[in-house]
Amino acid sequence: MNRFSLCVSRGIARVTEAALGPYQTAVIRIGFSATWLLFLLRELPHRHELYGPDGPWSWTLAEQLIGTNGAFTTLMWSDGRFWFESVYALAILASALLMLGWRTRTMSVLFMVGVLSLQNRSVFMGDGGDNVLHLMSVYLVFTRCAQVWSLDARRASRAGAARARGERVTDRTGPVLWGVLGAVLVAVTLAGRMEGEWLIPALLWTVWGGQALWWLAGRRARSGETRILLDVVANVVHNGALLVIMAEACLIYATAGWYKIQGSRWQDGTAVYYPLHLEYFSPWPALADLLSASGTLVMLMTYGTVLVQVAFPFTLFNRRVKNVLLAVMITEHAVIAVVLGLPFFSLAMIAADAVFLPTTFLRRLGGGAARARDRFLRRDRRTPLPEPRGHESPESTHVGFGA
Amino acid sequence: MDAYDEGSDARHGPGAPAEPGPPPEPGPPGEPGRPLERPPAEPGPSLEPGHPACPRTGVAALSLRYQVVVAVALAVVAIGVCVHLGMMFLHVAPPNTLTKEHGRAVDEWVYPEFEQNWKLFAPNPLQQNISIQVRAQVRTTDGMTLTTGWYDLSAEDGRAIDGNLLPSHIQQNELRRAWDFFVATHDGENRPVGLRGSLSESYLRRIAVLRLDRDDAVRATTGGGGAVERVQVRSRTSNVPPPDWSREKVSTTPSYRELPWWQVPRDEAGGGVR
Repeated sequence: MNRFSLCVSRGIARVTEAALGPYQTAVIRIGFSATWLLFLLRELPHRHELYGPDGPWSWTLAEQLIGTNGAFTTLMWSDGRFWFESVYALAILASALLMLGWRTRTMSVLFMVGVLSLQNRSVFMGDGGDNVLHLMSVYLVFTRCAQVWSLDARRASRAGAARARGERVTDRTGPVLWGVLGAVLVAVTLAGRMEGEWLIPALLWTVWGGQALWWLAGRRARSGETRILLDVVANVVHNGALLVIMAEACLIYATAGWYKIQGSRWQDGTAVYYPLHLEYFSPWPALADLLSASGTLVMLMTYGTVLVQVAFPFTLFNRRVKNVLLAVMITEHAVIAVVLGLPFFSLAMIAADAVFLPTTFLRRLGGGAARARDRFLRRDRRTPLPEPRGHESPESTHVGFGA
Repeated sequence: MDAYDEGSDARHGPGAPAEPGPPPEPGPPGEPGRPLERPPAEPGPSLEPGHPACPRTGVAALSLRYQVVVAVALAVVAIGVCVHLGMMFLHVAPPNTLTKEHGRAVDEWVYPEFEQNWKLFAPNPLQQNISIQVRAQVRTTDGMTLTTGWYDLSAEDGRAIDGNLLPSHIQQNELRRAWDFFVATHDGENRPVGLRGSLSESYLRRIAVLRLDRDDAVRATTGGGGAVERVQVRSRTSNVPPPDWSREKVSTTPSYRELPWWQVPRDEAGGGVR
């Protein structure tokens, strides 16, 4: 009994005192936002056909369907061409800024709004990759995903240093951003555009209110306790969301795997052959033929796929096995990206996998990225800078891919 | 290296959250696979404008009143996460005792934003190539009515995907999923079921007109001007031939499903996307 309560209190301490997995949440933030950003850029020439008011899934068709399910999309606020272009552009901007980790909480909200707006506007254009991004964009809002590798982290460390020197640090951008978005939120709500499902509007208002609280608590020196309270609550929420993200990844693999086991083609070991020979999933017919030339090879791939998908959630209890499987799955997705012509689906899945990567690996990755960037910048300037020995300055490590 | 974590508790701008809301929870400490090792050193909350560093952090530093709030938040998040994960599980699981009983509650929780389907190539991968083909009746400028040949839109998609590292959703998903949507919302006699049925018809028709326009089908047929009056869609389904090394035999004769002619509204005849 005593040991049990000790366990519980230790657990509570863990989930309240810190937002766990700073590197993991940063890497999925970068992964998901980069995937969506690249997708939006790739589809730039096709944006009208995919999501535009005059596309085949026209604004009126979408209006009727959304009338029945109440999905959230800002694109239904107007059927104008200009509005559509603005939303698309803002979606691009928000994903770029989220990737860099600039005003991350706000950008994560705008990123979610962008993803939901476009995807819910034309639900029949998406595939599994869109589905992953859809869910994760909502979950990301709840995380503190800019603790490392972000402009926010860099700003925070600079502000910290400045304060240590006794300087006064004032942030103007934050309140302005908050004010502008608040005005938009009020206007939209008053105009009656938030009348679908309550969930997303409620989320928008809650985050907005939460930011106000955070700011207020920060300003008042006296309210140290409120400040700590908010920090603890933010940690708890973050840790919960992180758990949901991990569980969601497991759910994806478990569902994909367990349903496959029931299929005759996955049982007789020929399943992998078929997608490779579908018109819609065979960009490289010669490669597909090569891969499926040997029945034994196809059978090994077929069984291997099922095995890995079914096993993955259970391997989380063993670090070493988990890491091996993770490497296998990331490789498999990289192969799928090319062979089945599903680059964005694969990128989204790799981003989801990344939440399980070990911290040591991620740190090394971040260090490598920072070094590469420093080298690049130095060459760019073409000035022989004095050799910065041990250029692992806190600065560069913090920012990682960020800047 | 240790400099890593300093100040990494950086919240964003003026705000961090205090949202309740659906998902979160106080992650059971045994986070799966413990990939989460070390949290950033200390959540030093000294980031806000002109704010002297707070001495202590964590629940221990709080007075009882605040600790109660933390406890409530923990409970809300814990329950929220458990319920959410339970709902997600029931949503992706096969129909079962619980979903028979509480299916509506699950649906209400899941739709519209948490819908998901991970039966990726499962239980069996599709083993047929389904080609969507379309032809049109065109009224020429001098009032004659001509019928175009069949255009194989899926084959066009296939060619666009060939050798393409980044296939577009308009090539890979648009027509394929529009057809799935149509099939799912029509009975065997091609009669629409409900609102979704009629929506899927309009959608398919608009895609057909758009593609015909892109293929310049009118000009190819009339040699000049004209307008699409009606379109007809059919699907051609053919089995993927079994691999050389298997002894299976399947028929390779395609089967067709032909839909009735659809009138194209005048304002749509130009091809939609502009």
